[in-house]
Amino acid sequence: MQDAARLSELRRKFGRQPAAPDEPVPGKPTPREAQPRFRGLESGHRACQGCGEALAARLVMESAGPDVMVANATGCLEVFTTAWPQSSWRVPWIHSLFENAPAVASGMEAAMKAKGKNTKVLAFGGDGGTYDIGFQALSGMLERHHNILYVCYDNEAYMNTGIQRSSSTPHAASTTTSPAGKERMGKRHLKKDLLSIIAAHHIPYAASASVAYPQDLQRKVRYAMGIEGPTFLVVHSPCPLGWKHASALTIEVARRAVECGLFPLVELERGSVSNVMPIRQVRPVDDYLKLQGRFAHLIGDDDPRALQERSHLQALADHNIATFGLTGDGIPDSADTGGSAAVGRGGPATGRL
Amino acid sequence: MAALTRGAYGEPGTSLHFKTGNWRSTEVPVHVHAKAPCAGACPAGEDQQAWFALLQQGDAEGAWRELVTANPLPAITGRVCPHPCESACNRVSLDGGLAIHNVERWLGDQAIEHNWAYPVPPPAPNALAVAIVGAGPAGLSAAYHCIRHGLRAELFDAAPEAGGLLRSGIPPTRLPRATLDAETQRLLALPGITLNLRARLGRDFTLDGLRAQYAAVLLGSGCQEGKEWAIDGAVPPDLHEGLALLREFMDIGAFPAGNRVVVHGGGNTAMDLCRLMKRNGAAHVTLITASGLPGPDTDPTDLIRVVPRELEEALEEGIEIIDHATVNRLIMCGSKVTGVEIVSLRKLPGADGRSHRVSFEGTERVLPVDLVIPCVGERVDPAGLESVLHGNYLKPGDLWGRLEKPGVFSVGDARGDRGTVAAAIGDGKLAVQAVVADLAEAGDPIPDARAEIPASLLNTVYYPPSQRATAPKLAVAARTFDAEIEGDIGAAAAMAEAARCLSCGDCLACDNCWTFCPDNAVIKTQDLASDGSQYLFDLEYCKGCGLCAQECPTGYIRMQPEAPGTD
Repeated sequence: MQDAARLSELRRKFGRQPAAPDEPVPGKPTPREAQPRFRGLESGHRACQGCGEALAARLVMESAGPDVMVANATGCLEVFTTAWPQSSWRVPWIHSLFENAPAVASGMEAAMKAKGKNTKVLAFGGDGGTYDIGFQALSGMLERHHNILYVCYDNEAYMNTGIQRSSSTPHAASTTTSPAGKERMGKRHLKKDLLSIIAAHHIPYAASASVAYPQDLQRKVRYAMGIEGPTFLVVHSPCPLGWKHASALTIEVARRAVECGLFPLVELERGSVSNVMPIRQVRPVDDYLKLQGRFAHLIGDDDPRALQERSHLQALADHNIATFGLTGDGIPDSADTGGSAAVGRGGPATGRL
Repeated sequence: MAALTRGAYGEPGTSLHFKTGNWRSTEVPVHVHAKAPCAGACPAGEDQQAWFALLQQGDAEGAWRELVTANPLPAITGRVCPHPCESACNRVSLDGGLAIHNVERWLGDQAIEHNWAYPVPPPAPNALAVAIVGAGPAGLSAAYHCIRHGLRAELFDAAPEAGGLLRSGIPPTRLPRATLDAETQRLLALPGITLNLRARLGRDFTLDGLRAQYAAVLLGSGCQEGKEWAIDGAVPPDLHEGLALLREFMDIGAFPAGNRVVVHGGGNTAMDLCRLMKRNGAAHVTLITASGLPGPDTDPTDLIRVVPRELEEALEEGIEIIDHATVNRLIMCGSKVTGVEIVSLRKLPGADGRSHRVSFEGTERVLPVDLVIPCVGERVDPAGLESVLHGNYLKPGDLWGRLEKPGVFSVGDARGDRGTVAAAIGDGKLAVQAVVADLAEAGDPIPDARAEIPASLLNTVYYPPSQRATAPKLAVAARTFDAEIEGDIGAAAAMAEAARCLSCGDCLACDNCWTFCPDNAVIKTQDLASDGSQYLFDLEYCKGCGLCAQECPTGYIRMQPEAPGTD
């Protein structure tokens, strides 16, 4: 009785209401266990509120798993999913170093081949591990034609170590190592066109995706999983902390990046563009910038440099739209940005499987 | 969990032991089933969204059953209702409100065609009986809701047929008699409803007699007498009051002759009369109304009270409308009227804080006329109701229609604050709810006080664009006294229209929250959760980021401060 009183006091103090869906009922799977999707990346990870990368990794695991193994480069994903001694992963998972995830994955793939197993190897990295530090290992992996799907979660800076610029950080974004101020309006250089470099390896399949279009993202993962050989996916994953937007706006920010043309969703096969997601209604780049604190210095008319940089980013977006033909043929269809987002009673209009 | 040593490794999924829910510092997601604006605007108390949801699943009969839980006469209201639901629809700001009245009418017609059974059990043999005076929309609705609540209903009507104003005051161009007969007969055939025709209150029975014999008495006798027409000077001895003229026309099919006709009033009766006179051959028909015509600057309280599509059709047919004006005086030549003097006016706030109509001296002008018809409203026929009548109407003391005399209720037009068939149907439902509560001595029924959800709380990105369906309409030249003007939209368009429903404030089961939660804290369930959705929030892991609420298309998920008691 005393225990019960103490327990209810502790519950009042620390407990959460209502009772969790995990509360076990003997002989019956918990609602969490009964989820009609593969739970490759489970709850309890330490990502920030509204993390785009945690969402992207979960979506990738859902459609790639369960017969997969993961080699993970250093970065947010590695840190927040595997706080010792716990792991959020429900598949074999290896972390070695920042720069060598593709090389580790290559070894895993060779081992699987030697053992006569079909398990697909995935390699995950952030933009720092992919665009910068692990780039030569990635190039080698692609060149040696390993049967690996490499997924780059692109949040456009070194978020894990405190928001330092990477070669993926967009032009004019403010980070701790490219601060906006009297001298510069954020990052001086441009975002590296990684997809073109990947395309130059003439691999079977490379694509860009966004967390704002999960059905499209998962379709690309499934397509890549069906290919024997190196495949590459870069997923635009907003970071509320580093991009300085509200945690609830992760999807909205990602959607606007696609709709303004700054992050084109394209697919490349053997180095040539095979498909793009047309934009139903092209938005001005300002709509995208104004949601984010990392571009706050570009909003407002008191500094002539702000308008210049905004125009520069608009020109980059227009260039993407022209290069990839993102305006489509002007007729709304189910595969454009509007159609891909559409939902109805009982699920997304495009279907999940 | 195994003992931890330096050599241990992370077991798959062990992070489930780490409850990230205790990071949540601000707000928690909750499911809020808000009221959709269509339901909020519906005087009959329908939940349009609920039947659209069933129609989206292809279940037309289920949709009709859901619809008739509130309104037993959808084939009728689908034709005559001014559909405030469509004006309130959140889709108006997107690509046009839903064609709710067309779909309602289609469902009603399907029910008649396939003889779908009303979802009501027959009342017990010893069930209490309620007396209902007037078999118009309010009375019929009340009788139906009595059966739904296990009571019997005894209807009394002075006319030789049921239908009330639906029969005497609405022309067949809007409501074909075949539809009216079919739907009322289906309803009256329900076990437990008895209809006494040619029974007039005050002549054949009395209010006190009914009160003594029945569990409750509902007065839905409507407004049968024209109000006094307040104008200066003389009026012709053969002056025809609007509703009486319309009734006469329905009975004998002819109008008094007139080439230049002026109708004075601003309601549906006035509008019906204008159009019938025009079709009868009058060259010039002019409606003079004190209210304003719809426009961007019109104050909604000063708007002409007619069905919007009726106004549109009337203008098509060449009815002239003079708004913000009134008839001052008639110009007589002997006993015959030759002209009307009209004057402009406006509704303006007065010194007492209420709005008054102020006419402007110097704006008087004269229109030549052969026939002038006042249509300035009706009042309750006082016969047999002297003990409960207040002025022109049976004004009830509350929403439920209770009059001062215990157990006596007033429903429909007789209340004096109603004006549509849908409102009369809603009254029938409300009054029966109160009767049931009174019989159980349970106090007032609890009204639906949920807040309506505005369009700003929806995330419309997820709704594919889709144009509103239009119903076929008779060309102006082909319009006669009998042929119905608006046509049927058909099954395909009705289904397509149902798919346009945004499901404002209610779960669509679209999976967005489940898909977008970065923390896997939204759990999809096979059975319906207790809040009516297919999803649970696992608050042990929810970090409170708000993504699910932001990306919920219907505004069903809201972020709210945590319940007190959780640190």
